[in-house]
Amino acid sequence: MSECIVITSGKGGVGKTTTSANLAVALSKAGNKVAVVDADIGLRNLDVILGLENRIVYDLVHVIEGECRLKQALIKDKRNKNLFLLPAAQTRDKNSVNPEQMRELVSELKEDFDYVIVDCPAGIEQGFRNSIAGADRAIIVTTPEVSAIRDADRIIGLVEAAELPEPQLIINRFRQKMVDRGDMMNTEDIMEILAIPLVGIVPDHEEVIISANRGVPAAYDDESVVGESYRRLARRLCGEPEVPYIALTNGGFWSGFKRLFGITAGGTA
Amino acid sequence: MLDIINRWIHGPKGSKDEAKSRLKFLLVHDQVDLSPAELDAMKTEIMEVISRYVNVDKSSAEFRLEKDAGSVALVSNVPVSRVVARAV
Repeated sequence: MSECIVITSGKGGVGKTTTSANLAVALSKAGNKVAVVDADIGLRNLDVILGLENRIVYDLVHVIEGECRLKQALIKDKRNKNLFLLPAAQTRDKNSVNPEQMRELVSELKEDFDYVIVDCPAGIEQGFRNSIAGADRAIIVTTPEVSAIRDADRIIGLVEAAELPEPQLIINRFRQKMVDRGDMMNTEDIMEILAIPLVGIVPDHEEVIISANRGVPAAYDDESVVGESYRRLARRLCGEPEVPYIALTNGGFWSGFKRLFGITAGGTA
Repeated sequence: MLDIINRWIHGPKGSKDEAKSRLKFLLVHDQVDLSPAELDAMKTEIMEVISRYVNVDKSSAEFRLEKDAGSVALVSNVPVSRVVARAV
């Protein structure tokens, strides 16, 4: 049975597009046929993260306005026969589409794909309403910061008001070293506040920027710790909720010892 | 002394507790949507009603909104000094 998952957050810049791209790659690598839809009309970026920006001919608004067929607008990822992108229009705005049209589009995609991933724009206006219209469930992306968690809480309320099932949470840009020294909220703190089930933790890592530079999501890289977090996320979403979380360099004796002698390692997470 | 050694080993107390308590306060007020002035007015009116029945120490009465697992509660702590005899 196919399913539509919307990736949302409220706040901008927390990693919705990176999450959508990597989740789509991880699900397709696992053998699922995946369509990933950029619903951020006017500010498209998912094509860039996936490295498919040079192949766009038609977009989501063309499909909705009947200027092309859905299959003509879908871009096949050459690295991966199971992954297709439906890009957003860049020169239109969010009001070019309404929730009913999105619902129809998603149900048409669900006939051909196992998973439809919708990358939601920031905010709580028309773009958000369009993005959740056809979704079967929502995943909320947040970072361990006050502003991002505040907006996530607001979005959880809106998702519930839209009568979608209880959303699940991804904590992005997690930095274990900062958590160890008490300068970042840990997973328990965030779960206590947002009170929804956790489905993924992604470390803050320079690999994310490098993969965006290259247009190759980290989920393609079998050696990448970020890629591995997304692959595990995908498995948890596909009926393996018990997949363990990656141990991200924990504190303990040595970090206390190093701090005592003023040795601090650089870098992230 | 133990505290100093502890701080030496574990570093100074981090900022995350501050983040968490600010966040909790924010979320409650986002949800309830009452201004501090309205909260004060509510507190004054509640105190008026309570003091009709019992003697209360107005200066040490506490009212705050707390969020727990999705729902917001008004938590109050009003010390009662003496029960007033009911006027017949």
